[in-house]
Amino acid sequence: MRHFLSTYGTALAGLAIVIFFAVATPAFATPGNLSIILKETSFLAILALGFALALMTAELDLSIAEVASLAAVITGALVHAGQPVWIAVAAGLGAGLLCGVANGLAVTSLRVPSLIATLGTAAVAKGLAFMITQGVAFVGRWPTGFTGLARGSLLGVPNLVWWLVGVAATIFVFVNWTRAGSHLVATGEAEEAARLAGIRTARMKRLGLGLSGLLAGGTAVLLAASVSSAAPNMAGDHFLYAIAAVLLGMTMFTPGKPNVIGTLVAAFTLKALGNGLILLGAAYYVQDIVLGLIIVGSVALSAAAMRRAAFVKKLSFRT
Amino acid sequence: MQPASRIMEGADEAPLLSLRAITKTYGAVEALKGVDIDVHAGEVLAICGDNGAGKSSLIRIVSGAQEPTGGTIALRGEPIRLRSPQDALQRGVATIYQDLALAPRLSIAQNVFLGSELTRPVLGLPFARLLDKRRMAEEARGYLQRLAIDVADMTTPVERLSGGQRQAVAIGRALRWDAELIIMDEPTAALGVKETAQVLDLIRRLRAEGRTVILISHNMADVVSVATRVVILKSGRKVTEEPTVGLDADTLAHMVMTGKKP
Repeated sequence: MRHFLSTYGTALAGLAIVIFFAVATPAFATPGNLSIILKETSFLAILALGFALALMTAELDLSIAEVASLAAVITGALVHAGQPVWIAVAAGLGAGLLCGVANGLAVTSLRVPSLIATLGTAAVAKGLAFMITQGVAFVGRWPTGFTGLARGSLLGVPNLVWWLVGVAATIFVFVNWTRAGSHLVATGEAEEAARLAGIRTARMKRLGLGLSGLLAGGTAVLLAASVSSAAPNMAGDHFLYAIAAVLLGMTMFTPGKPNVIGTLVAAFTLKALGNGLILLGAAYYVQDIVLGLIIVGSVALSAAAMRRAAFVKKLSFRT
Repeated sequence: MQPASRIMEGADEAPLLSLRAITKTYGAVEALKGVDIDVHAGEVLAICGDNGAGKSSLIRIVSGAQEPTGGTIALRGEPIRLRSPQDALQRGVATIYQDLALAPRLSIAQNVFLGSELTRPVLGLPFARLLDKRRMAEEARGYLQRLAIDVADMTTPVERLSGGQRQAVAIGRALRWDAELIIMDEPTAALGVKETAQVLDLIRRLRAEGRTVILISHNMADVVSVATRVVILKSGRKVTEEPTVGLDADTLAHMVMTGKKP
């Protein structure tokens, strides 16, 4: 029973929250509203999965939101200028990947702790985003070939959800069923043991941070397509949400470890919670307060399970 | 007394591992000042010495973690360079480090196959290979059974095992590489009496399988109990080398401190 609770307790709490809102407010459990929550979950979860991949190698990527904003602005600028959609999308993904690789090199080659390196990258990305837009947003009547990436639906399921399913399934298989994935996890679990067993731990850290950047780029493309605009701070609100999703996700399924399914369930729970609070008439700032409590509470909950993992040392600044 | 090598099996063959005039300096510090050691197939060679005697430097060199400043290494008579732990593993030299060997939260099977996971093709595609978890669990169980360690579930995280079982998992990884020479760095340092006995039994089993073991230990009782021969280092030099037959722990401790037999 104790094992059951420590493995599924927070997931069940999330379910309870969803049921509570469904009962408490009739507007919550409507197909329209659930579809909104799922779409919001998609942005959040794709961004959060990147953070999770970096965290699996025991590195923190605090640049995800600013990198996503920069990638969105680059994509938006190209779409706005009438460039082909594929070029705009590739540029957004490329910008994210480039930032992620820069983070990886700073951590592995320059030996800068990821906490510092990614904060630096975040500042640079933010500056570049404002430089490109000169502080205003790109808004326009953008081609449906671009906006359709995020707006349409297939078989009654929003495209955004399909993107999330594809990305999450790929990452799940990668992490749990491939050699490279297990090397990534081993790097974060026990870097020295992994290195002595012949695993190229520096390469794994670059991979984790690089993928985090790439997924920030992917989130950015979908965000820009979804709202037909690109502003230099558009992903900022997702930052704490993404971190909360990963940390809350670490309290479920494989307690104490960043994991794909936990991140997905946590992302949905957080978005359902935010949505439900608004429907109940809570002020906008209540969300932030709840989010902060969840971040601290999640880590407290999985502290026992995390104690022996390398990334706890990172989280407690002992880089 | 005869040199130890004469009484070892296969004395007419080249030693499994041969170290000649090995030196290692760290800046101004000379950790090893020209050490010659032969390790013969099938023996359990203990390397003893006080802190700072050069044991760790020697182990790092043999395990591939560091290259020597000077001297030569030969494996089965053939001169080699060990550039990395991976390089050493591929040549059949596996090192089991005191605390660093295992990833505590990963499973037994994951630890045994750490860095050398088994995969199987998927859907007959040439490049798509996924982990073969079932085979890894089966083989990991096989290695542990060879060491007479019975754990029901290969997905158990290593952190839930006893100290002796953990050493068995670390040795299991060496068996997975089919290592001929297994180097164990203070394998009983953190263990209780019962677990120590278990680990010494593991070493005897390795020897019974025909594997060669280098044992680094501070525990003289362990050394006289399982080692066939002992090398004593002092201030970066080899001061003694002899069979353990007839030695007791007290005599050995005296030799480690003074470098001479009482």
